Amino acid sequence: MTPHPSASLRHLRLGSWALAVGLLLGLVLEMLHGFKSGWYLDVGNETRRTMLMLAHTHGTLVALLHIVAGIVVRVCDRPVVSRFASAALIAGLLLPLGFLAGAFGVHGGDPGPGILLAPIGGVALLAGVVSLAVGLSRRS
Amino acid sequence: MQNTPIPPHRRPLAQRLRAWAWPITLMALAVFAQTLLTGWNRITPPAKEIPAGPVQNLAGGYATSATCRSCHPGQHASWHASYHRTMTQAARPDTVPESMNGLELTLGDRRYRVDRRADEFLVREGPVDGGTDSLGPPRRLVLLTGSHHQQNFWIETGQGNALEAFPFGWLIADRRWAPLTDTFLCPPGVTQGRSQGVWNNGCINCHSTQGRPGISADGIIDSQVAELGIACESCHGGGEEHVQRHRNPLRRYLSHLTGGGDDLIANPGRMSGPEASLACGQCHSVWAFQSAADAVRWNHEGRTFRPGDASLQERFVVQPAEDPGALAKAGQQMGDPHLVENSFWGDGRVRVTGREYNGVEASPCFKGGDFSCQSCHQMHRTDTRRDGLTAWAASQMQAGATGNQACLQCHGAFNDPAALTKHTRHAASSEGSSCYNCHMPYSSFGLMRAVRSHQVSVPDVRESAEWGRPNACNLCHLDRPLAWTAEHLKTWYGQTPPALGRDDHEIAASVKWILQGDAGQRALAAWSMGWAPAQSASGRHWISPFLANTLNDPYAAVRYVAWKALLTLPGFADYPFDYTAPDDETFAAATAAYQRSLDLRQRQIAPPAFNPATLLDKEGRFIEAPFQRLLDTRDQRAVYLIE
Repeated sequence: MTPHPSASLRHLRLGSWALAVGLLLGLVLEMLHGFKSGWYLDVGNETRRTMLMLAHTHGTLVALLHIVAGIVVRVCDRPVVSRFASAALIAGLLLPLGFLAGAFGVHGGDPGPGILLAPIGGVALLAGVVSLAVGLSRRS
Repeated sequence: MQNTPIPPHRRPLAQRLRAWAWPITLMALAVFAQTLLTGWNRITPPAKEIPAGPVQNLAGGYATSATCRSCHPGQHASWHASYHRTMTQAARPDTVPESMNGLELTLGDRRYRVDRRADEFLVREGPVDGGTDSLGPPRRLVLLTGSHHQQNFWIETGQGNALEAFPFGWLIADRRWAPLTDTFLCPPGVTQGRSQGVWNNGCINCHSTQGRPGISADGIIDSQVAELGIACESCHGGGEEHVQRHRNPLRRYLSHLTGGGDDLIANPGRMSGPEASLACGQCHSVWAFQSAADAVRWNHEGRTFRPGDASLQERFVVQPAEDPGALAKAGQQMGDPHLVENSFWGDGRVRVTGREYNGVEASPCFKGGDFSCQSCHQMHRTDTRRDGLTAWAASQMQAGATGNQACLQCHGAFNDPAALTKHTRHAASSEGSSCYNCHMPYSSFGLMRAVRSHQVSVPDVRESAEWGRPNACNLCHLDRPLAWTAEHLKTWYGQTPPALGRDDHEIAASVKWILQGDAGQRALAAWSMGWAPAQSASGRHWISPFLANTLNDPYAAVRYVAWKALLTLPGFADYPFDYTAPDDETFAAATAAYQRSLDLRQRQIAPPAFNPATLLDKEGRFIEAPFQRLLDTRDQRAVYLIE
């Protein structure tokens, strides 16, 4: 377990920016609702709407996870986040990015090809969280 | 990793497992018992009980629209908004009219009462003069057909799942009940038009998806459907294999990238014109069985036609103009020669709505190859906004195809207003320059209204003189005789005028049709008198006496159409009339309406003059002799225009 000296700051910085983007996307979606945009709300665009909603929720939650990770690194008196966990959590951002990309190039009930990023991000996120849990479970 | 003693507060694994032993054992026993029960049920199925309504059966590779939705949400949305979907529905509180609960109606000497019990509706029937005790046992209302213009209802019979018609229909726009036989154009006095089993061997064919009548040789009826209503697989064929193949996302994305279709599913959008049209024509046609054996097989198994087929298989489209023997053969196979014959004008052109494929197939446009129903109609609207879908669902027209644009796709030369005017001899912006009005006039009838002929044709006086079909010109120029039209068609287009009698030179064509024509002609003439373009071309000042007189027509459907047209005239917007009322009441209403038309004219300071061809004197009264002569020579043959 080799704690990166700037791991905390990196996660906090990344998390904050990701949270800003996630919230901004939320505002955009609310605006699309407000103006009753057919591109977003029409029943035929259900897949796009689902992708954008998933991008917003997952993006916000992953951002909060990074902020939590950054705080954990800072408050723990021992190294709990490995390089692998740190990298995997960052790669986890591919999950919301995949949903966002999948909202474009929708074909019927199938999202656009960008959705391929989502499972990669999902696996990375899972690995990162498991790695973090393992790190926290270890006794110093 | 260093060895550490187990903390005292943590129990050993074995001890912890023991604590879960009982719950796990109980759960395992429950699962085992459930498995046994399920297996037993599979081995010994319960004795077959045929429920009151049709049973869902997905045999033959059907998957239902609910499965299609996940991959085709846009197409599903537009279909869901269409009246195809609701063509047959289970009778539930949200599908039947609000007035169904507690409904009491009488027909002849019978009384009917409908009561709601939980989510079911029960019909009881008895003598009209009896009390509540005299009503018979309750029977469930099982299905309803129709959802656009009118709804008809079907009651359980207890004979398999044979259904019997509830003898009243609901007219949606009018929000009123009417005797079922008064919701179709059929002769007065017909009471047994839609009796027991009609849904099972008739309506099921086109008002459900892959209906199987299930009528066995011993008369037991066990009707089954893949889905109620006209769902995705009516036009695309059974989708089970297509669904299975495309569960694999890689295959789906490969299909998206290559833009290729799937040979496991029919897609009328990728078919040739004739095949695509026949997907519609499997229902929207006058058809008959090829043979008695085909009829028997069909009555048990349902249709073998699948979208994409080049023919209707065990059935054929009746086209009397192409096959002079078709009518006789169809009449023989369908067991009702009059119904088939009534569906056509004398020259073999279809005259009843809902059978548009007959017209499309006989149109000159159809011979080219790509022309199909989809040249003007679209089954799936790309824009799925709710308000747009609602408007689109009324006729499912292509965007822009409600006007000349539909025809200009091929006849682009008439995009030029000068060329259009030269062709039509009417102002380019007028109704006389509408392709539809001249080449697809309102000469078909059904669902209590006139409908455009779907046989694209050239207006010709001969069609009226020889076969009685109102021609496009006189459906607008209602106040002109056929000879007037013949003269114009000769001058403008070089048509040779047919031999016309004296009346056709002196009496307006519409006046002849509404007084002397058969019930179908009278209905079309009355409808046209309420049609805004015709009123604009012919004036509205002379129409009311004729519509007033038609309120007393022997055919209920004709009375209804006349009343609706009358409501469009000044001074009649609120005219009350019950077209199903007894004869003495309709006579009184007709007399009062006639009197009102005279009074309205009398009040005018300078009333416009009448064209002599309208048979009205200067006060607006019928000129008695010719009026009575036309009535006396009316075509009294029984007419059934059942869509």
